[in-house]
Formats: sequence, C-alpha cells, structure tokens
Amino acid sequence: MMLNKMPARAAGVFDEKMTEAIANSRVLVVGAGGIGCEILKNLVLTGFPSIHIIDLDTIDVSNLNRQFLFHKEHVGYSKSQVARISALSFNPDVEILAFHDSIISTDYGVSYFKQFKVVLNALDNRVARNHVNRMCLAANVPLIETGTAGYAGQVELIQKGLTQCYECQPKAPQKTFPGCTIRNTPSEPIHCIVWAKHLFNQLFGEEDPDQDVSPDTADPEAAGEAGASALSSEGTTSGNVERKSTRAWAAETNYDPEKLFTKLFGDDIRYLLSMENLWKKRKPPTPLEWNNLPGKDSPPEQHTGLPDQRVWSIYECAQVFSTSCTSLQKDLRGRTEGDHLVWDKDEKHAMDFVTACANIRAHIFNIPVKSRFEIKSMAGNIIPAIATANAIVAGLAVLRAQAILRGDINSCTSVYLRPKVNHRGQLFVPEKTLTPPNPKCYVCAPKPEVAVACNLKQLTLKDLNAAFKDGLNMQAPDATIEGKGIVVLSSEPGETDHNNDKTLNEIGLSDGSALLVDDFLQNYEVRVRLQQEDEEKMWRIVPDADKPMPAPRPANGANGSEPKPGPSTSRDHDSDSDLEIIDEDDDEPAVKPPKRRRTEMNSDEVVELC
Amino acid sequence: MVETNDIELSAAEAEQYDRQIRLWGLESQKRLRAAKVLIIGIAGLGAEIAKNVILSGVKSVCLLDNEKLKEVDRYSQFLAPPDKIGENRAEVSLTRAKALNPMVDITAETKSVDNLPDSFFTEFDIVCATGLKQEQLERINNACRDSNKKFLCGDVWGMFGYMFADLVDHEYSEEIVQHKAQKRGPDDTEKTAVETFSITVKRRAIYVPLQNALSVDWMKPEMRSRLRRGDPSYFVMKILMRFKDEYNRDPDAAKRKEDTAILLRMRDELVKELSLPAGFIVDALLQDVFGTMAGAAAVIGGVIGQEVVKAVSQREPPHNNMFFFNPVKCVGFVELYGQ
Ligand SMILES: [Zn+2]
Repeated sequence: MMLNKMPARAAGVFDEKMTEAIANSRVLVVGAGGIGCEILKNLVLTGFPSIHIIDLDTIDVSNLNRQFLFHKEHVGYSKSQVARISALSFNPDVEILAFHDSIISTDYGVSYFKQFKVVLNALDNRVARNHVNRMCLAANVPLIETGTAGYAGQVELIQKGLTQCYECQPKAPQKTFPGCTIRNTPSEPIHCIVWAKHLFNQLFGEEDPDQDVSPDTADPEAAGEAGASALSSEGTTSGNVERKSTRAWAAETNYDPEKLFTKLFGDDIRYLLSMENLWKKRKPPTPLEWNNLPGKDSPPEQHTGLPDQRVWSIYECAQVFSTSCTSLQKDLRGRTEGDHLVWDKDEKHAMDFVTACANIRAHIFNIPVKSRFEIKSMAGNIIPAIATANAIVAGLAVLRAQAILRGDINSCTSVYLRPKVNHRGQLFVPEKTLTPPNPKCYVCAPKPEVAVACNLKQLTLKDLNAAFKDGLNMQAPDATIEGKGIVVLSSEPGETDHNNDKTLNEIGLSDGSALLVDDFLQNYEVRVRLQQEDEEKMWRIVPDADKPMPAPRPANGANGSEPKPGPSTSRDHDSDSDLEIIDEDDDEPAVKPPKRRRTEMNSDEVVELC
Repeated sequence: MVETNDIELSAAEAEQYDRQIRLWGLESQKRLRAAKVLIIGIAGLGAEIAKNVILSGVKSVCLLDNEKLKEVDRYSQFLAPPDKIGENRAEVSLTRAKALNPMVDITAETKSVDNLPDSFFTEFDIVCATGLKQEQLERINNACRDSNKKFLCGDVWGMFGYMFADLVDHEYSEEIVQHKAQKRGPDDTEKTAVETFSITVKRRAIYVPLQNALSVDWMKPEMRSRLRRGDPSYFVMKILMRFKDEYNRDPDAAKRKEDTAILLRMRDELVKELSLPAGFIVDALLQDVFGTMAGAAAVIGGVIGQEVVKAVSQREPPHNNMFFFNPVKCVGFVELYGQ
C-alpha cells in the first residue's frame, strides 16, 4: 500500500527502512482518552501518514488534567473529533479519520481491521479490549495494548500465534459480595455504598430484583425461628413491605423523605434485629429515628480541605437524603412512563443521595462514615489518572509500533511502568521474552474450546446466552448442537425466542454435549462442552480443565452494579486502566514466564446471590 | 523549598484536578499551585516537560529559549505551530502552552542562558534544563544549588534519553502500604481478610551536583564492578555530550552517515580511555540519535515532568540522581553517580 499523501519531513531522522515503513503504514487508535490523546500526538509528529481514531465518549472537565488535546471550551464535544482537529494542528500533512462511535459494531468488521499495519488500544474497559483482541486475531494484525492506573502502566504486544492474547490468562473475576452481607450484615463502608446504589436503582433507576435492599429473610445464617417469628409479628410495616417493591411502596408515600427514612433506617433495621442469629457474634445495628438524629444540635466542625472532603454528621446526611430524594423524584416524575434515572457519580443529587444513604447505614452498623469525596471514588470506580504516566506509556507504545513496522516484532516484549523503581533501579521493566500463546486459550487457540459448568436441568437457553455474552465476552452468539446441526440460539432477533425458557435438558443437551458457538461480529468460533454440576446455581466458565481458575484477587475499584450471576464482564468506568503488574524475579531463568499478578483495576464489583 | 499557601482550592481547580488530587492528595496540589518553574530549551523534550508541568497545575512556567524553530523540531515539538519555522521557539510555543491550562501563568524568555545572571535562575523554585552544553548545565546547577533551588536536566537524542536531578537536600513524605491480616465477623464467606493500610513516613535525600555525576572515576574498583551488571547508557550520554562540546551542535540528521562515523569513533576512544569491555556500547545505541523522536521525548518528558511534581509536592521518593532510557532494550532505570 502506497499512500498518496506523504507528510513532508526532514530526511535522516529515521533510517531509510524506517522512513519507508512509516510512509506506507495506516494505523488505528482505539480510544481518545488519556493514553489515546498522547498516542495520537506521537503518531502525528512521527509522521504516520494515515491514522484512524475512534471513541464514543464526549469530553468532561475532569479529563482536562491529562487529555491535553482538549480544552475547557471543548467540554461536551466528541473526543475523537476534537482530538483529530487538535492533532492536525501539529502536522497538517497527515490524514486522520475520526469516528465518534463504539468499536463494537458491524461497521468495523474483520476487513476494516485488515487495512491497518498496527492497532493501538487506549481503552478503559475490558469489554472493548476483549473485542479488539478478537478482531485483531481474526484480521491477523498486531495489537499494542496499553493501560495506566495512577503512577503505573503497561504496554503489551498481541500478535496471533506469536504472543499470548488479551484473553489467554483468565482474568480475575470481579470482587463480589454475598447479597446477605449487603442486605443484612454490612461490615465495611463499601457494603453500605453498594447498598445505597442499589437503593437508588430501586427508587429511581432500573428496578432489578437482584438489587433488593430490604432484609433478606433467606439468609442461611439467620435460618430458624428468628426470621419466622419476626415475619409473623405485628407492629412493623416491614412485613408488608416485603411483598411490595420498594419503588411501589415509595410511590404510595409520594416519596416522603421522612417515611422513607423511617422505613429504611428504622423499621428495616428493627426487623434485622429480630433475626437474632445474625447478632450472636456481631455488634447489632442501632435503628435511627428521624426526630432524634446525632449531630442535630452540634455545629459543623472546623474544616480545612475541599468542601467534599468534610464528613457530614448523621443529621446533615438526613437533610441531604431529604433534599436529594425530593429532587430525584421530581426528575423521575418529569420523565415519560417507563423511563428511569441512571446513577451517575457526576450527577449532584445522585451522588448526594448515595453519600447520605451509605453514611446513615454505616452509622447504624457501627461502620466508619466517609466524606462525599471518598465515597465518590468508591461508588464511581474512579481510578486516579495523571498526564505523566499516560505520556510515558503512549511514548513506549509508539516506539513499539515503530519497531513492529521496521520488522523487529520479536523484540517487542511487554514493558511495565512501575510506580516506584524495583530493586534493580528499573522504572520501565521490559520482559525478557515474548510470552507465547496459551495453547488452551479459548480465544486464540487453533481450535478454541471451553467448558461451561451448569445444572442442565435448571439452566435455560436464555441463561446460556448470557453465559456466552458475559462469560465468553461474545457480542452476538449463534449456537448449534455439535453433530446434529440444530440451531438452538440465534443472534437474529426473534429467531430462537421460543427456546428462551427451555432448559438445556429439554432441548436435548446432556452432560458432555457440545455446542458450536460462533460470533459473526468477532469472526470467532468456539466449541463449548457442557458439564453437569448439580450444585451450580447458574453457570461457570471452565477455561482449562487442567488448570483451575486463579483465585480472585482484590480489585481496586468498587461498585455495586451488575448483580448478574456468574463472572460478568466489567463495564466502562473512569480511567484508562486495566493494568497488569508483574512481579518480576530476576533470579529466575529467563525462559520462565514471570509470575503474574493481574491487578484488574476497572472491575465493577458484583453482588452474588447467597 | 516551595512554600504552600493556606488559600483553599477553588471549585474550578478542584474539578479540573480531581483525578490527580485523588492520587497525590490535596496538600500536594496546594504545593504545586505555589511553584514557579523554569524550562530551558523548548525543543521536543522541553515541550513535553512543559505540557506535563502545566497540566499538573503549577503557579507559573517560564519557557526560555534563544533558538529558532527548525524543520527537525516538527518531529516532536507540538507546542510550536509548524508554519512558524525560523521564529523564536519559546515565543511561538506560548499560545498553545497557555491553552493547556489557563490557570497557569506562562511567559517566554528569548535570551541565551549565557546572557542571563545567576539571579535569573534562582527566582524559580525549580529549573529544568534541556539542550545545553555540559558547562552551561553545570553553571546553572551550581547557581541553583547555592540558593537551595532544585535543578533537573535532561536530553533526548533520537530514541535515547537521560535525566539528571539535583534536589540538594530534599525532604519528602512517602506513603508505605502495609498489610495486616484481620479477623472478620462470623461471615461464612470471609473468614479472614488481609487489610491494607498505608502509613506516611518522612524521609530525606541528599544530592550531588552535576559535575560530580559526570566526573565519575571508572578506574575505581567499586565503579568497575558496576560495569559487570551495568547498562551502557551512561557512556552513550557521555559520548553525545562530548559530541556537542566538540562540534557545538547535536548529531545532524542531514549528515547522518558522517556523524554516525564520528560517534562510533568517539565511542572507540572512550572504550579505550576507560578500558571498557569490547562490545559494551553496541553500535545500535549510536545509530538512532538524530533529531528527537516523539515517542522518546514523551517518555523522557513524562519522567522529568513526574520528577518536577515529586520535587515540588515533596511527596514520594524522587529519583536520585540519573535516569536513562535505553531504547534498544526498552528499559528505563535509575542509578546514583558521583556520590
Ligand atoms: Zn489467547
């Protein structure tokens, strides 16, 4: 491919081979955030003649401390479009095509990917990373995967057949909390924050039965007389409320803040107290009364720091609860029937509501209360991001892209930017060798295969579809029974809806049956073996029968959404991180791959059913 | 040392700097917004440093350069519009530098460092010098040192780069993460959990001036032993500094062949002079040293920018005292020289 537009450049800066390789390249940058802006700048200055950049996001004021192609006047505009215009001012001789779009679309299929010499990922979420990984494998295009979190970062090459792919190592599942911890026995601030976000959804957002916020009478720990006797007892409203949705109950009271408060932080807590087994070894919670709240008569303490860093008294929390409830309800009422609010950490009342509710609940359960600033980090999964780490990672990524174009792909080992130097004084630590593909990877192996463990007598086809999407990161799965050719799941809308509620047994699948599942969007096909497991409530992905899934590692962020069973893919959040940090050990022989500690910094936390 | 002021951050500042305040804290941000920074040499590396420092939210940045924008700057100098070739590099960078962060006060100075008195440099809390000769660097370093002002310098040649830091006598706080196994309540799922918490400790680092770091005696046994496990980057820097001294310029892309030959000859001389092992400084390290590659400028500029933030905020251990980026191995490391 010889591109007609050649950027005018002083000769000799690169050797001839490099100059020619760059002149004949077209590259794709996926993401125009912190790393994407930096990558685009480097590509344009280096003289890459043809660049595509894609991002579905718009510019926010909190981006401006690092996404330097954007200025205050650009807030609200498309990231990819503004990035293009800013970058062209550095070098008007290059061609940049900007797409304000999601990369997960039929518009960007395998043939689209095939036009690029290199793809550079600058993404902030796992779903899109998985997708681009599969597209680059299918198109056989080298992919440079990048990420940062705070001071740390990484650059990794993914090339089909040569290196491991983004999905070769199973990712740590998201941190999960048992539902009963959230509903009955919180012991940490995050439990209260998750509960408060669920409450928001119950009252104003999309109602989800898995995000129930009332006491859980099915808590195995409370089994026995306590719950039962409490249920039959009179005098509390909670017995009734139990059978009604929180939303319906709130609507009946016209979202009266005092009544809501009394139910949530008085009656429900008294109900929990009646489940006596729960409190045998725990400090029991203390119900609150609207008219007798701590901090009512004391003036706010002297505070230095940001206003959001001041911790509110419980009395203040109740006031904020009241005003935010009223505003949110007004917002909800103003919408069309069936529409609902979506929780957003940057929406004042939504964030106020969660702060107030989380702190009131924390106080009740003797858990430390936190400032709005801290709760925003935890509830919004905010991962700190700075200009310098992004600049370093993007610089390394483009140097790696140059090496690939020059034909030195074998030298492009992963590089880790460490927050502090290691014992050898290294700040950027390259791996010694490329990490070869995992032959049992269910994505990049020549014949991908994976097992799904489930109870075939209970799991429905609809659930299985969710397993393919959330567990195997597929976008539009089609499944046929191996050997029979019967289509049981189709990505064509409506085509296999009649199967939705049938169990796997009912459609003739049994232990050891196999399905051929393919995703035309990802150009990906996998053979799925089914394993009968009576105990499994939903489903579980078993990537490699010889190796158990790695133990979950602590996630940095925290979020209370996604109450889906089984490991679920994480959603977008607020940084460019999806970081893998390496524990390198220099005394190990070079051939042995380093021990990996995948620090998944963008995982939403999910609540599991108990 | 940067004085903090007690004025609280405005709502606009809190909003714009939110993501970094969550990383380095409010106190660091307040120190940053009181800091006056001088950046010398506004070619590719200077532009990168300026971008990072301006985005971080310092009080003021002065861009100092007496040179004109050159064709070769277009590979890395994104603050200067490409149609301003032939005009002063600092002045043409001003508009875009200001647009990066209107809350920072940005000025340009077009005099040569040789025509500026020591007192000019010591007006600033921290000086970052790029593109100068060794004796110019040492003079400014010593002036800063005498006034207890912090000094950083660095350069990028092609894909290779270094940084030197003299923070004199530097006090800082460091956050150390500790782990503690904690017994939980009778939750059946979480019997014990490891709780991480961080403590902040005060530390102090003593630095040496640039002339010490550049006049290391490699004949000393302790320095010889460093060679065995060492990386040749220090010597690559020495060769490139010598080239600059001898020819009064950097290697020129237009004379790629001749200059490469000169560099390889200088390499051989140095190897002989210091009895370095043969093949220690591979040719590849001296073949891509023309102009400034954008990727390398971003890498070194990122490291220097972060060191400015650390030095000013007095938080987290700064590098003591040299950082090198070896592009052949893609390794970046810190070593102490001259102490
Ligand atoms: Zn793989």
